[in-house]
Amino acid sequence: MTEAITVETWIGMGVAIIAFWGIASWALVRTMRQEDRKLKLIERVGSIDTYSPRGLADLRAWIEENPDDPYIGDAKEAYNECVETLKEIDETFYHWSEEEIEELETVD
Amino acid sequence: MSNAEPKLTRAEWGTRFGFLMAMIGAMVGVGNIWRFPFVTGEHGGGAFILAFLILLFLIAIPGLMAEVALGRYAGKGVIGSVREAVGTGGLVGLGLVVVLVNFALMTYYAPVVGWTLYYMLHSFLFTFTDPGFNAETFLDSFFADPAMMIAMHTIVVGLVATVLYFGIRRGIERVVLIAVPALVIAMAAIAIRAVTLPGAAEGLAFTFTVQWEYLGQSDTWIAALGQALFSTGLGWGIAITIGSYLREHDDAPLGGGVFTALGEASIGILAAFAIFPLVFAFGLPPEGGVGLTFVSLVQVFPEMPAGAAWAIVFFAGFFLAAITSAILITEVLVTTISEETRMSRGQTVIAVCGLIWLFGLPSAYSVDFLDFADLTFANWGLPLATLAIIIAIGWFLGPERLRVLSVNRNAGIYVGPIWNPIIKYLIPFVMIFIMAYFAWDNFGEDIMIAGMIVLVTFPIVGYLVMRYVEGRNQPQAGTAPAGGDD
Repeated sequence: MTEAITVETWIGMGVAIIAFWGIASWALVRTMRQEDRKLKLIERVGSIDTYSPRGLADLRAWIEENPDDPYIGDAKEAYNECVETLKEIDETFYHWSEEEIEELETVD
Repeated sequence: MSNAEPKLTRAEWGTRFGFLMAMIGAMVGVGNIWRFPFVTGEHGGGAFILAFLILLFLIAIPGLMAEVALGRYAGKGVIGSVREAVGTGGLVGLGLVVVLVNFALMTYYAPVVGWTLYYMLHSFLFTFTDPGFNAETFLDSFFADPAMMIAMHTIVVGLVATVLYFGIRRGIERVVLIAVPALVIAMAAIAIRAVTLPGAAEGLAFTFTVQWEYLGQSDTWIAALGQALFSTGLGWGIAITIGSYLREHDDAPLGGGVFTALGEASIGILAAFAIFPLVFAFGLPPEGGVGLTFVSLVQVFPEMPAGAAWAIVFFAGFFLAAITSAILITEVLVTTISEETRMSRGQTVIAVCGLIWLFGLPSAYSVDFLDFADLTFANWGLPLATLAIIIAIGWFLGPERLRVLSVNRNAGIYVGPIWNPIIKYLIPFVMIFIMAYFAWDNFGEDIMIAGMIVLVTFPIVGYLVMRYVEGRNQPQAGTAPAGGDD
């Protein structure tokens, strides 16, 4: 079989396998491992941080830019919950440095 | 969000893997097996795959992220989630449009699942390897037997109802945890057998050879766009519904967006490795749809060593792909109707499935009617549903709000602000473009007129009905459990 397959066909098959099965497998393994880590952290520490540093910075920026938004209550609650959790726990889910956590403040 | 309703009684997926398999089970349908390999081969092989991949990342993945995130945030089915996005009033009818389209889709999809059931049952009876078996005569006699087609339709609707009756964890999750891996194993087994057959190289060449010139042709991109939109079920409310049963700390964008779109497409790729090497190895012409699965492939199995066993593996996998989609599409209706009415989940399952069975009878009776319904809703109904959901998210709730409040919360990957214009501008533009393209392509034909009727009447009916219902019903916060109680 293989002798009849051209370079273009090999490229097509290679791209298909790597781009689809490769990335889908990566996503599956990553999300399952994250899930496992989250569960272990919750068991050990009681709660986990809910935002990554970039995600939380975006949320804070949105809160500051939209003080009268009808969803501002939800946003503040989500922000403060994450900040308070980060200050309480010893081990974080996302990659937070101690300096970054120390600089965080809840919003009113 | 604005209405603080208790969510404690709402069901949740038991495991992360259960959620992921539900997403894949919903999105992988008959199209992955009988359409994707043929469309790929017809539009430049590897070039089409590249175009498809680009469109998945550009449109389908961001769109799915938005749907799952909205469902998880609202903790509601389609109508409830749209209400969260647009507020109360007639515009909640955007959600009703999605419900109506899903209902219409199920009325003709259930009979198609019935065909796969019929062929699976006959594979167990070794019919395809009987001496003197003729594939075309067999198919013609099945299509000429309305009683048998209605019987298959009835069994399928009964199976869907049974699974849904048991709820999210005990019904759907249990089924998809077995069915989706079984489907992958079945397709992988056939693919391995197929590519090792003498003459399989021609089939691989047909499907995968990169013909770069196709990337410059509009037909390739239109076909890839259709595949990216329809195979991922973007905007049909499925991702909202499945996402609404996520647990508090679950991620939405990595599992609900990236894995779902690429995992679903991966099964199409696997089918491409399985089907055309098989078809070419036995000297049959390439084609898609009914002709491929119910005529070409059933002629292949008798020629293969242990062909009867391979037929069972193939048709069992094909049936699982079809029935899991049917279950999850129907769940869209069950979740939202049980939330919006005072019916229990069990009553809703019976009512919804009963109506699907009843309105599915014309499609079960007549293949011509089914084809007409399929073309009408595939070309205009489903894009209309996608447009309704994306407008609710992109133009009412606002993508930036959703991104900071839900998409990036507990997320497995960070989604940046570049996501916002995709949701607000790109996807609506693409949906309008594709409907206009289909209208141009079918200009003046009955199918176009039917499509225009859907485009005009569904939003009007949705708006008027929900305006009346929203005006009549005061909020009943917290009085009823959410739709997916187990």
